[in-house]
Amino acid sequence: MPSTAAAAAAAAANQPDELIRRLRSGDGAVKLKALRELKNQIIGNRTKKLSYIKLGTVADVVGVLASSVSIDSDPGSGSGSSLIVESAAIIGSFACGVDAGVKAVLEAGAFPHLFRILSNPNEKVVDTTARSLRMIFQSRLAPKYDFSKNENADCLISLLNSDNENVTGLGASIITHSCKTIADQKILSSAGVLRRLITLLNGSLYQREASLEALTAMLSSNSAVISNFVDLDNGRALSSLINLMEDKSPRTRLLASTCLIVIGRTCSSYLQDIELKNKLILILVELLEEPDRVGDEVPFALAKLIVDREDLQRLAFEANALDKLCNFLQRETLQPKRFEGLLLAIAELCSRLESCRSKFFSLKVLNLVTNSLKHDAADVRTVACICLRNVTRSVKKLSAGYFMNEMVVDPLIQLLHDSSNSVQVAALSVISNIVVDFANRKSIFLRCGGIKELVRLSQSMDPTLRLNAVLALKNFVFLADNSSKECVLAELTVSTLVSLICDPEPKVQEQALAFVRNILESGIDSIKPVFTEDGIIINAVGRQVRNALDLNVCLEGIYALGNVATGNELHKEAVMHQILEPQVNGPSQSVLMKFLQGNNSQLRVGAIWCIINLTYPDGPGTSSRIARLRDGGVICQLKKLADDPCLDAKFRVKTALVQCVNNNSCAK
Amino acid sequence: MSLFWIVLGQPGGLEEMATSKKLITREEWEKKLSDVKIRKEDMNKLVMDFLVMEGYVEAAEKFRVESGTEPDIDLATITDRMAAKKAVQCGNVEDAIEKVNDFNPEILDTNPQLFFHLQQQRLIELIRDGKVEEALEFAQEELAPRGEENQSFLEELERTVALLAFEDVSNCPVGDLLDMSQRLKTASEVDAAILASQSHEKDPKLPSLLKMLIWAQSQLDEKAAYPRINNLSTATLEDPRDL
Amino acid sequence: MPVRIAESSSCSTPSQGILKFEILGWHLVSESSEMELIARNLSISDSLTCANSGDTLPPACTLLSIGQAFSGSQNVSSLQKDEAWKVNVRIQGCDLDHGYLCGTMEALNVPFADTPVVTFWEGEIVDTKNYTFFTGKWEATIEDDIRHWSKFPSFSPLLNEVKDNGGRSLNLSNYPYIFMRWKEQYFVNVGVDCGLTIAGFYYVCFSVSDGSIDGFYYDPNSSPFQKLELKSTNEGKSGFSFSSYQLQ
Repeated sequence: MPSTAAAAAAAAANQPDELIRRLRSGDGAVKLKALRELKNQIIGNRTKKLSYIKLGTVADVVGVLASSVSIDSDPGSGSGSSLIVESAAIIGSFACGVDAGVKAVLEAGAFPHLFRILSNPNEKVVDTTARSLRMIFQSRLAPKYDFSKNENADCLISLLNSDNENVTGLGASIITHSCKTIADQKILSSAGVLRRLITLLNGSLYQREASLEALTAMLSSNSAVISNFVDLDNGRALSSLINLMEDKSPRTRLLASTCLIVIGRTCSSYLQDIELKNKLILILVELLEEPDRVGDEVPFALAKLIVDREDLQRLAFEANALDKLCNFLQRETLQPKRFEGLLLAIAELCSRLESCRSKFFSLKVLNLVTNSLKHDAADVRTVACICLRNVTRSVKKLSAGYFMNEMVVDPLIQLLHDSSNSVQVAALSVISNIVVDFANRKSIFLRCGGIKELVRLSQSMDPTLRLNAVLALKNFVFLADNSSKECVLAELTVSTLVSLICDPEPKVQEQALAFVRNILESGIDSIKPVFTEDGIIINAVGRQVRNALDLNVCLEGIYALGNVATGNELHKEAVMHQILEPQVNGPSQSVLMKFLQGNNSQLRVGAIWCIINLTYPDGPGTSSRIARLRDGGVICQLKKLADDPCLDAKFRVKTALVQCVNNNSCAK
Repeated sequence: MSLFWIVLGQPGGLEEMATSKKLITREEWEKKLSDVKIRKEDMNKLVMDFLVMEGYVEAAEKFRVESGTEPDIDLATITDRMAAKKAVQCGNVEDAIEKVNDFNPEILDTNPQLFFHLQQQRLIELIRDGKVEEALEFAQEELAPRGEENQSFLEELERTVALLAFEDVSNCPVGDLLDMSQRLKTASEVDAAILASQSHEKDPKLPSLLKMLIWAQSQLDEKAAYPRINNLSTATLEDPRDL
Repeated sequence: MPVRIAESSSCSTPSQGILKFEILGWHLVSESSEMELIARNLSISDSLTCANSGDTLPPACTLLSIGQAFSGSQNVSSLQKDEAWKVNVRIQGCDLDHGYLCGTMEALNVPFADTPVVTFWEGEIVDTKNYTFFTGKWEATIEDDIRHWSKFPSFSPLLNEVKDNGGRSLNLSNYPYIFMRWKEQYFVNVGVDCGLTIAGFYYVCFSVSDGSIDGFYYDPNSSPFQKLELKSTNEGKSGFSFSSYQLQ
């Protein structure tokens, strides 16, 4: 057998060469036969397409097309049109679903020839050519059609006005492909394209779908064009769109829904009506059942609809969308695209509502989502992380330590080494949530080597990674025991922490200060480790509080200092020093006074807590601190705040003043 | 949280629903039916739809002339569709593929499932003809790459190749693939895909209506006894059984 | 399983309520005249009338923020003061937009229990947007609601408004008390057979002025008006510290 198999393989290998030779033949009949063979070999067959593309066959076919166009100009030549039909069909097929094919077709210069053929009198020729051009325009590699050129806009309008279904479809595809900017949308809208597309909504199924896609491209994020569209024919355009949401064809239903989503996301007033919202949700949920492309795209449309819209998330939840999505997720043979879409839609549904998250956990898909952290496709890994991130927003589950186990933690830590940056960022966001653990299981994360990785990423050159890593470290040390805190601090090192406090990005500074604040939360034992190396950490914190312009940086800083002030005399004195020292290059006034006099109530409250801790009863140095605060005008300023419009500030001022007064009366 | 108090549950009683069916006599029923009006044009459209969908080109043409009912599809294309369908039914799958590609090259390029099923049918035909070596080579060259692209294709492919493992295919677990029904299944997929490319639904409306009739009767059975249609081809009303 | 006998539900008199108000609401008042002045400034009488045009939600309060701890006791019956267990509470989550608060409650010397019993609870903040004074679930009728809320002296200025619509039109943004319902969701460290029930829920009143919390447990199948009394605690530190986390 082996020898015959080898012979057969050799014969197969020879076949393409032979076919290409015949393609180049001068004999029209031989050529035509070869073209037909080639066509029937490649249609639907990606592997064959790729191997012929490698052999350079596309250029040969485009050559045949070009020469046949000139033959065909001689009237009465029938074979010319057959050659055009076959070669155009082949070019379209090469461009269908294969990027390398689109590239080869464009490089071989097929574009201008195909456009020229559109004016051919032969219906079949025009049909096939328009179809092939459409295939090319369905690829993102196709060149952008420049609507701003007058002759291009005219050409497009004439395509849209054609009687030929494939030609109007081509016009719509060009819009779908190339209408990307507000300027494009404006040109097309003022050229009257909207009205023509709306007319096509009444055409054949094929025209309807092509025109729905084109409309979506024209309306996307452009409220001016949307209001044009809505005003057309007294709102009849919008109502015919809404009617198409209930069309018999699933794809039409999806495309009409997508178009309405684009309208509603830009101008929410058109998506306020509860019945319409409900209808839209129900249609999408029902479409989840569809096979192939429609079913693949529906979850993405659903996700796009409900993102950040709690009302719509609630409606989708009530329509049992979550049950359905999770149900599909559990099916065995899912294409990566479908899987990704389902995960994304689940993620969006669970982003805000606790009721959705509870349902998610009761549907027992957590393991499945966790397993997909190891999926081959980076997009799936990212979305799996986003899904986990959103479901781990449930404090109810976090409190029970539900996620803090090796099965969840291990693969997440692996992803911190992922080749894709977006996967790393997404994994960090899940970790940030999971390490907020109230069940004293943080040691599991330490044991899995998570802290090492977070510390590594906190020194990344990429500010997003750095920010998310520091945020995760901050969450980890929230209410952690002192030994865990010391482990983290040792791993991070004092010098890295100081450089993070002084990071060029204010958001990183903020998180680093919040990290320090959490470290310092549990009394003297947690404060002492921060007072190493001549107090460079506390100095860095004080410097940021005094000099930072960012409100949140100041806020985290003042609370960090407030926490230090819950320590011993030495700690309290250090805080006094940091907040009473006059600012550099500023007025001689202290930062404490600046915060107390400022108009941000949160900063006032933070400053007042600092004072409460500094004047906390029974400390040996309390009287002296009160005296210095009085000298610095602080007590006087506090009295001015006795009627602070912010209740929290007002009552905390009261506590601070009571402490000062009591101390005075004791001292007397 | 609180300490328990003793709580006595109250068992809820289940109520038996009393049911009784309504009896509708033949006279009442026929009177009700005679009040229902059906338009002639609707009937004609249903007939035309059936002829077009089932591929009776000549009958459709004659019916068009005689009843004045316009079909919603170019009658000439019916011939192309029927030819492709017929080719599959006869086992000439390559021929069918050529016909589909001539009709519209987009169909098989955008419908991987149909393309796979046609290739699978080709493999089945090779196995049926006992061309083992050719079948293996074809499976390797043409079908294996499709299986790599799609998990469910791979499973179907494995099932098909399993045919080669059995001496007596008529008695093997995957023998059904060699049945005529497999050809018909593939042929009807071709039919549906061509119709879809013409913006047409894939099923004729008449059978749907009859299905609806049967379903409605079974719904009504729960509530009433009435003259039923048991034989669809004669559509005779049969007297309700006594209750 | 311990069995408790039903007690009369009309065990609280208005005079007790006023007394409590004096003790809890004003307990910081001391002999110092400066402090009396401050205290008088905190009068609540005008707080309902200064309606802000924008926000009408209850005030944010650092003492009721994530990580804060409270300790106190819960009376098992409303009559016998001696029957009480020690209680610690910690706030674990807070989402003011959704009127949501959650945390754990630890009961220390529970009769018949070997270890402290910890439960996780979720709270509804009566913010008149997400939640009103009417519970509308958990077997609580409007009458139950009014009867329980009325046990908080700080509720009496609101009573008339609440009777109509649960207080939906109230502006609580300047009100120095925050009303909540806390519903325990599960036992953290023991099984459901621990001899305790979490079928009911607490009507809760938090005082912004001093961070104290009062509550009454309500469960038609448990002893009525079990009183919860908690004070903000700094757990022995020389001051109050604050920590935070951020869910992504």
